Amino acid sequence: MMRNDPIKHVFIWPAVLVVLAISIFPLIYSLTTSFLSYRLIPPIPPRVVWLGNYVSLLQEPRFWNAILTTTLIAFISVALQYAIGFSVALALNARVPGERLFRVALLLPMLLAPVAVALVARMIFNPTMGPLNQFLTQFGLANLPFLTNGRWALACIIAVEIWQWTPFVILMLLAGLQTLPEDVYEAAELENASGWQQFWGITFPMMLPISAAVVFIRLIESYKIMDTVFVMTGGGPGVDTETLTLFAYQEGFKKFNLGYTSALSFLFLVAITIIGVTYLALLRPHLEKRR
Amino acid sequence: MANVEIDNVSKAYGPYKIIEGLDLTVRDEEFVVLVGPSGCGKTTTLRMIAGLETVSGGTIRIGGRDVTNLRPGLRNCAMVFQNYALYPHMTVGENIGYGMKVRGEPRAAVEKAVKDVARVLNLEQYLDRRPKQLSGGQRQRVAIGRAIVRSPDVFLFDEPLSNLDAKLRIEMRTEIKALHRRLAKTIVYVTHDQVEAMTMADRVVVMNGGRIEQAADPITLYEKPANLFVAGFIGAPSMNFIHGEIVARDGALCFTEPSGTMLTLPKIREAAYARSVGKPVVLGVRPDHISHHGAPAGCAIRMVVKDVEPLGPHTLVIGKIGDVPFTAQMQVGVAAEPDRPFDVALDLDKAHLFDKSTGCVITA
Repeated sequence: MMRNDPIKHVFIWPAVLVVLAISIFPLIYSLTTSFLSYRLIPPIPPRVVWLGNYVSLLQEPRFWNAILTTTLIAFISVALQYAIGFSVALALNARVPGERLFRVALLLPMLLAPVAVALVARMIFNPTMGPLNQFLTQFGLANLPFLTNGRWALACIIAVEIWQWTPFVILMLLAGLQTLPEDVYEAAELENASGWQQFWGITFPMMLPISAAVVFIRLIESYKIMDTVFVMTGGGPGVDTETLTLFAYQEGFKKFNLGYTSALSFLFLVAITIIGVTYLALLRPHLEKRR
Repeated sequence: MANVEIDNVSKAYGPYKIIEGLDLTVRDEEFVVLVGPSGCGKTTTLRMIAGLETVSGGTIRIGGRDVTNLRPGLRNCAMVFQNYALYPHMTVGENIGYGMKVRGEPRAAVEKAVKDVARVLNLEQYLDRRPKQLSGGQRQRVAIGRAIVRSPDVFLFDEPLSNLDAKLRIEMRTEIKALHRRLAKTIVYVTHDQVEAMTMADRVVVMNGGRIEQAADPITLYEKPANLFVAGFIGAPSMNFIHGEIVARDGALCFTEPSGTMLTLPKIREAAYARSVGKPVVLGVRPDHISHHGAPAGCAIRMVVKDVEPLGPHTLVIGKIGDVPFTAQMQVGVAAEPDRPFDVALDLDKAHLFDKSTGCVITA
């Protein structure tokens, strides 16, 4: 087939049209909607407000609260997922006895549906009837307000996130660890480098590219957290655990305030883009050294 | 003093015994090359000296100190690996200085040592590059630099030149020899390349099946191989072996091969050979101890030529005597043609006779 054979259009255009239909068109449509005051309930005819939705959102404390909550969940849970995941991956890579069983068992949480995990977690953390508080009272501790206090609820959500997604980090890092050459460690052994020195001098820097990718994926995924929070706390108590996605859901599918929700979605997109770009910019000098 | 003493060392992986009862002493400042075919245990031996493999039995001493159960970092050995084992994320300078850094030496001392080593190895302009940006030969030099920078007792080389092309290999051979002269340190070097072994070593240890077949200086190995294995392994092209027996004829001892050719054995060795009369033996003759012209009776034999390989300085005539492969190194322009018989004269003064049952050379 020649480069300028017209048949190429038969192959290219369907793909272009699909992308346009399911991705580009909705994006442009929601961008235009974000400049409108557009409510379905009560039905009011759309009216152009230009940046009005954006301005009112940026002045809305609930929006800033949602950003803060989402950022806290994302950064704390990903940091802990990475730290725990790296430790477990190192342990599994050391060929401990029963390592295959551990590997399978530790990967299981990742395979469960987040809604199911959140439902079970909600029962476990139930402040009055949950088994966790029952267990703690055996030791004479008072009932803890797991899901009824804002800070406790946030901690519970983060704990569930860590429980469910650390396996993904383990899987990726273990794959990375298994590709590391063995002879560099033998060279370091001969240099009398301690295990700690070998980790910081060799393992960690050599794992940096894959670590960067894993953290990036988890960070972006965490910003999109929805089902866990929805089921466990519904954003409550009050709006203490309300994330950006939950806020958008409340505005879009409870109040059907479409213009406002579109503006919110675009601000969300901008926020994630800023985080992603900043993250990559910070890491670039370190990653380029390893190229 | 950094001699290496390997005393009755054995190594087994489960039921599989790789090395059994190995004894070897490497003198201080000696350059010893362990050579042998794949799987003969030479790399395992080296790794046991380094401490990268545990020992199943026996003791290893370095400089009189028992290091058998010491971890690698406490043995003061430096090793150059086959695949260089450079730290890919570090620059050349960081690679060379890593050992000193982890030992907590002051930064100024590390920098000075790295610079000195880089100067010795011609790596000065590459100090800020990463291993990926270097050629194979340069990487090899970095690996050597990393080994020499902290002045260890013993250097261990594990087939360090096997990833380099032929020309670079010869250059690096010379460099490593020069380095040994300059540093005056004990070196244990592993290779499967017998040319490398012969050209570099003070003493070559030929290993086979986890045992030492012979340990001697290169010329002794070449001229006085202890057995059939060493005779066949050392020298390229390898020694020719003709099976036959010793018979007494007309007051002299002769070697006779299945086709009936009689070769008169040198008078001077008759006393040694007399005990093997009537026993099956193997006659070993090196290709370069064979000539074509003026073959006197008693040392001539006929081969059938299969191929003629002109190599420049000389020509190899490759063929068979009976069913046994036979190679003769001839002068350029020798009149040999494929599928034609070709008479050659063997220099029997330089030939060896081996006892077929034990494989050992028959000596006085």
